[in-house]
Amino acid sequence: MQYSLRRGAGMDETFWDRKIETIDRESLGKLQLERLNRTLKHAAESPYYRGRIPERVKNLSVLNDLPFTTKTDLRNSFPGGMLAVPMEEIVRVHSSSGTTGRATVVYHTRHDLENWAETIARSMHMAGVRKKDVFQNMMGYGLFTGGLGFHYGAERVGALTIPASSGNSKRQIRLMRDFNTTVIHITPSYALHLFTLFQEEGINPKEDLHLRIAFLGAEPHSEETRARVEELYGIAAFNSYGLSEMNGPGVAFECKGRDGMHVWEDHFLLEIIDPATGKVLNDGEEGELVFSTLQREGMPIIRYRTGDIARAYPERCPCGRTHRRISRIKGRTDDMLIIKGVNFYPMQIEKVLMDIPEVGNNYVIELETVDYLDNVNIKVEVRPSIFHGDLEELDQLKRRISENLKNEILISPKITFVEPNSLPKSEGKAVRVLDRRNISK
Amino acid sequence: MASQVTVFVENKPGRISHIARILGKNGINIRAITIADRGEYGLINIITDDPDRAYEVLLEEGFSVTRKYVIGVLMKDRPGALADVTEYLNENGINVANAYGFILKEGDRAVLILEVDDFDRAEELISSGGFHTLTREELQNL
Repeated sequence: MQYSLRRGAGMDETFWDRKIETIDRESLGKLQLERLNRTLKHAAESPYYRGRIPERVKNLSVLNDLPFTTKTDLRNSFPGGMLAVPMEEIVRVHSSSGTTGRATVVYHTRHDLENWAETIARSMHMAGVRKKDVFQNMMGYGLFTGGLGFHYGAERVGALTIPASSGNSKRQIRLMRDFNTTVIHITPSYALHLFTLFQEEGINPKEDLHLRIAFLGAEPHSEETRARVEELYGIAAFNSYGLSEMNGPGVAFECKGRDGMHVWEDHFLLEIIDPATGKVLNDGEEGELVFSTLQREGMPIIRYRTGDIARAYPERCPCGRTHRRISRIKGRTDDMLIIKGVNFYPMQIEKVLMDIPEVGNNYVIELETVDYLDNVNIKVEVRPSIFHGDLEELDQLKRRISENLKNEILISPKITFVEPNSLPKSEGKAVRVLDRRNISK
Repeated sequence: MASQVTVFVENKPGRISHIARILGKNGINIRAITIADRGEYGLINIITDDPDRAYEVLLEEGFSVTRKYVIGVLMKDRPGALADVTEYLNENGINVANAYGFILKEGDRAVLILEVDDFDRAEELISSGGFHTLTREELQNL
């Protein structure tokens, strides 16, 4: 199937694509219905959706009766259950963390990538990024969508794009200085951490750099954190929202008003539901975000339950864009953790720990903020049965836990050994995850 | 054979005094104590007059604790005595994992406690080298 591609066709100073960004709600609804029907027909080509969904609906409200798609459905349909095109049409795959077959895999055709780049370009333009800008992308390049996702959008805008990827702080600082970086894409925790390094090097970001815009992403953060980043760097910071199942970044972005994120409703059909009953809620009511893809070729997804809690703003945005805004993400319907941009579940950590006989059930997982960075701290009890009076042996155990976890969740948690009986006893369902991070939810 | 009691402890205030008090209450006399530190946690090694009792009461109090054989070498409390012993160990290729000493009576006798990898061979070598190694009873009745 063919979708028309817009390469900033209607670009002007304010809008990347004035026609679509300011489309009246009625026309948008018609466009959505047309695209939803195209998507339904197309999705029915996939083994997963065949027979599960109608090929056509009369109006958008019928959508409310269609079944949801969950992360579990995505995993169970691996490898190709949700593919709606032959595998040879796929040109890119992205995957969430996980090495044990629990990863969520999303396939993209060339058109899907073009559309993804388009939503990013539109979002960046909306925040004020232009051709003359120098964009340093400090998100991980690879299976994670934050790096490559932004990269092609920034190139489409025409900005000089530096694929710096994440980490290596000294090099990040040098790149900013060498190329006079004006725009960055960064996790909020890393932005705050990096500032302490600027101080150590005697650099004042406000005076010595040319930064003006930061896209904060991949991590839930508070309005206070945004304010702090803006103050420290003397820049405007924009919140962004996305998830790998809906491409990655590019689902919803803030305009210059920086009050709520516009969902690109020509690409993603938004519903907000009561997570307990599945009932669709009105704008203004807080609930779980549910998205259907409207332009996806490779892997169309209908009514995907994101697990993210937010609300849609009923009011129209003064910026002139008609696409609805959503609030900051207020939390999760499940226990998914987002640390340093990596998503994982406590269950993944638990499985690794329980597979190590010396650890068993004697652990807690603590989430904390240290030096502005979110950390996972795993406390393991040294019980008499595993203690042989040997520090080397404990060192080795620590290394083994650390390596096994790195393989599973891709980050290296801190491991601390504690005395026996110092952790909460497991009475029924023990609380094994203690969240002490500084996030105001 | 002499033995040492090793306790796993978190590095937080009051752990040594807590352990010392438990042993004191149970009438166990501490001869020497050392700490092997790993930052947030570490090991406390204790030589007492009754290692078995020390082991039992600490276990009862909920500690992770082990007993380990160590060699107690009796030395003269004079300059160069420690050098004599350690030079001999070095010449005979005995690898020492941990070592600490304490004085029994000032100007008279001292004891060097050694944790070694190959316990039997080390003890034999040290004895045949003319050094006096303490038996369990001797260490108890010091």
